[in-house]
Amino acid sequence: MSPTLTANYRLIDIDALDADAQFPPELLNPPCPPVGISEIQGLAGQCRQLLQRGDQEGALKVALENVPYGGDEAGKDLHLQTILEILSSIRSSEMANTLSRLSSLPNGTELLDVLTKYIYKGMKDASSGAGSGGKMSVLLSWHEKVVDIAGEGSIVRCMTDRRTV
Amino acid sequence: MSQSLRPYLKCVRSSLTAAISLSNFASQTAERHNAPEIEAGRTPEVILNPLVIARNENEKVLIETSINSIRVSIKIKQADEIEHILVHKFMRFLTQRAENFFILRRKPVKGYDISFLITNFHTEAMLKHKLVDFIIHFMEEVDKEISEMKLFLNARARFVAEAFLTPVSSFHGAAVLSWG
Repeated sequence: MSPTLTANYRLIDIDALDADAQFPPELLNPPCPPVGISEIQGLAGQCRQLLQRGDQEGALKVALENVPYGGDEAGKDLHLQTILEILSSIRSSEMANTLSRLSSLPNGTELLDVLTKYIYKGMKDASSGAGSGGKMSVLLSWHEKVVDIAGEGSIVRCMTDRRTV
Repeated sequence: MSQSLRPYLKCVRSSLTAAISLSNFASQTAERHNAPEIEAGRTPEVILNPLVIARNENEKVLIETSINSIRVSIKIKQADEIEHILVHKFMRFLTQRAENFFILRRKPVKGYDISFLITNFHTEAMLKHKLVDFIIHFMEEVDKEISEMKLFLNARARFVAEAFLTPVSSFHGAAVLSWG
């Protein structure tokens, strides 16, 4: 007797066998140009230089404008580390001013949406590994300020955007 | 409320408010069915990116959103083994009565202590901001409740130990005499 007959036929997923019912993942995720790890490393170096010159806002802007959507996991993690470094270097008294200046730029909404994505990614990564509580409180206070300025729409856009960071 | 709890709860509140935007959606795979898509998982295009909000590695909230349902999973702080047992017992007590709680999921998502499943039928019958308030209130209260139970348990253990040892200490002299 063949194994399909002995198995409980009610539990067989017949939609998985139907070619028309399939939903290919490339329809779900928009195509992004691939980004090499060297490019992301170059970006990280550029941001670090700006940080050393004391231009935190410029560093944040550069990091948020060049998002490696097409990068692999290692590249995305590297960019996350760059952004976390910039975020923790900005003092809490400067957060609101920095964000309101960023949001007044022509592409300000987009920048803040990307920042929201990175805040959530930072919390997700740190909570699964051995993250420190200090980093979380930085991210939580940034989240509060971003929602104050960009509103809850930025969270909705972060959930619905298939271009993940 | 402690200083670090406030931004955490505020973050959960804004994320929940953003996530609970649900509408009715009939199943695309089975005719005349209407299942929570986040549980069915058969239609990948209506499931959104999950969000994790963490205060530290022991306290976090997972929000999984889909078009007609949202699953909120909470990991409650467990500092030691007593708290672990208390949280386990308390959550079991609640999930056994999930029938009366409407939004409570019978089984928590893996890695979390308790899960809520809110569908569009709940948001139609109940007020959205009250649902959010309930979850925030639950998170506030459950920490308090667990630490209270732990204190009570310790006090009771001390009392029981004293009560057990009272006869031994008072009869100690007499016992020595009679056996002596």
